[in-house]
Amino acid sequence: MTGPDWAGGWDPFHEFQREMGRLFQSFASSQTFRHVRAFPPMNLYTNGEEFVLLAQLPGMNPDEVELTVTSETLTLRGERRRPEGVTDDSYRRQERFMGRWSRTVGLPDRIDEERATAQFADGVLTVRLPRAEGSTPRQIALTPPPESRPRLEPPREEDR
Amino acid sequence: MTNDAPGPIRVPVGHPAAAWPQGGPDEPRRGDPGRLPITPPIDIHDGPDGLTLEADLPGATASDLAIQLEHNVLTLDAWIPTPDLSGSRLIHQEFPVGDFHRSFILSDDLDRERITAELKDGVLKIHLPKSDRARARRIDIQS
Repeated sequence: MTGPDWAGGWDPFHEFQREMGRLFQSFASSQTFRHVRAFPPMNLYTNGEEFVLLAQLPGMNPDEVELTVTSETLTLRGERRRPEGVTDDSYRRQERFMGRWSRTVGLPDRIDEERATAQFADGVLTVRLPRAEGSTPRQIALTPPPESRPRLEPPREEDR
Repeated sequence: MTNDAPGPIRVPVGHPAAAWPQGGPDEPRRGDPGRLPITPPIDIHDGPDGLTLEADLPGATASDLAIQLEHNVLTLDAWIPTPDLSGSRLIHQEFPVGDFHRSFILSDDLDRERITAELKDGVLKIHLPKSDRARARRIDIQS
């Protein structure tokens, strides 16, 4: 097993998350939970050597998505527009998120932003983020102290 | 739209059995059989000629998509392959990995024979034309 297990308790996505998209006001309350979710939803995988981030961006094309990475963060932003000529009052049902969106997420470990790659197919963005060289776990040998220290004496009867 | 941009892929709207991409509904699909179907979010909007339904199906491809019409029920299924990330662990999850499924009851004033569908960038667009008798007829008023 390589790398620490981040699954327990650590949540990078809530640290930096900003939801910029304007949510529609006109939904039935039963539908609103869907829109409270961040857009785009993201899953993050790791194999120890790299992180792989998948983001669901249906209907967007690569020109419409701005992706920036630093050694510690990833930012995605764009705008999802409804089809041209479709007006508010022509909707009979509206569940899909539309509008401007932006998300910045902190990564669990430093990555080598020079080697990051991204591809976009069928509305799913895949970003590969190799871990920075220095951030792979290094085994540190534990050596005994140079001089042996006096051992702790067991407690004496009268101290109890 | 420019000519060199990849156009939408036409998706046939079939009747049951004919539309299933491989064999039929009883044929086991690849992937995890235990995963739950996901209800995709949809929009429906009115146009002069009928209704347009749009569904978010990220990861869907035309070969693994079935749209079926049986009586007045329109059903869409999209089978999404599990991402090929063997050797990787999922450490943060915001969307479920699974297949999309949703059905709709069509009103009688839609022309079921002329339903068309297209898929582009993970969005399925289904055109549901109004039947001729239901289409509003514009009558010019002579002055």
